[in-house]
Amino acid sequence: MELTDADLIARVLGDDDQHAFGELVRRHQSSVRGLLRQLTRTDMALADDLGQETFLRAYKNIRSFRGEARFSTWLYRIAYNCFREDARRRKELVGVDEEQLQAEHDPQTVDPGLRHDLMHALSLLPLHERTAVVLCCQNGLSHDEAARVLDIPLGTVKTNVLRGREKLKRTLAAWGPN
Amino acid sequence: MNTMIEDETLDRQLREAAPYIDDDGFTARVMAKLPAARREPRWLRAMVLLGLTVLGSGLAYLLSGGGRFVREGMVQLANFPVWLLLVFAFGCGLVVGAFAVIFAIRKTPEARDLARLRF
Repeated sequence: MELTDADLIARVLGDDDQHAFGELVRRHQSSVRGLLRQLTRTDMALADDLGQETFLRAYKNIRSFRGEARFSTWLYRIAYNCFREDARRRKELVGVDEEQLQAEHDPQTVDPGLRHDLMHALSLLPLHERTAVVLCCQNGLSHDEAARVLDIPLGTVKTNVLRGREKLKRTLAAWGPN
Repeated sequence: MNTMIEDETLDRQLREAAPYIDDDGFTARVMAKLPAARREPRWLRAMVLLGLTVLGSGLAYLLSGGGRFVREGMVQLANFPVWLLLVFAFGCGLVVGAFAVIFAIRKTPEARDLARLRF
């Protein structure tokens, strides 16, 4: 019988069982790295570095996981914090911010060959809408869970998801066959 | 041009568009960076704790004149009326029970959520 996340966490806490933690990493690495790839606009190397940092932090702080939320939700929160800290550092170092990155990805300049790529359309959304859409629509978190991950009010999450969805629909419709 | 895509359809397409990312050594790299596992087993910590407790109790017994205060306390308790002892025991039970309930609620997310419910 396959052990649940709670069983594995109990083993890590009780016996410092690193194999159990390895199983947790194997289970959640795809969704965590997927989220980070969306946040970093498909910069896979950076996303994987942040992914490693996420799991290292999770291991060091696993005693603070109180089981109030799903383990994956807790991991998303750590991943999002890692991403924000890294973005802040980069902004301080080279002065690149989200608005500049957004301008670089203007929908008008999109390669026609990528027009039907939903993931590409997603990457065109502003960070706060993209993050909310990825968490709620792609990873199946409730609005409440996403609000905890992002540490923002529930209403803001709902608004970001709504706006993100609308923009995605408009973009996809505009890319559709005439 | 179809401009009306349902939310559910869009969510499903988003989920399907997100590829499963193969591990490709990611887990191994994370594991290699983990700090060294704790070496001492749990039973050793328990034994150390128990040993210190026994040692402390022994010292307290010796320093208090061979437990004289315990004997005197027992004699005083024996002189109390029975109803007072019963009240005392009941009070102790209530206090211990209250602490047990509080501890259980703090440790159980479901019970904590239940305690937050407003009717």
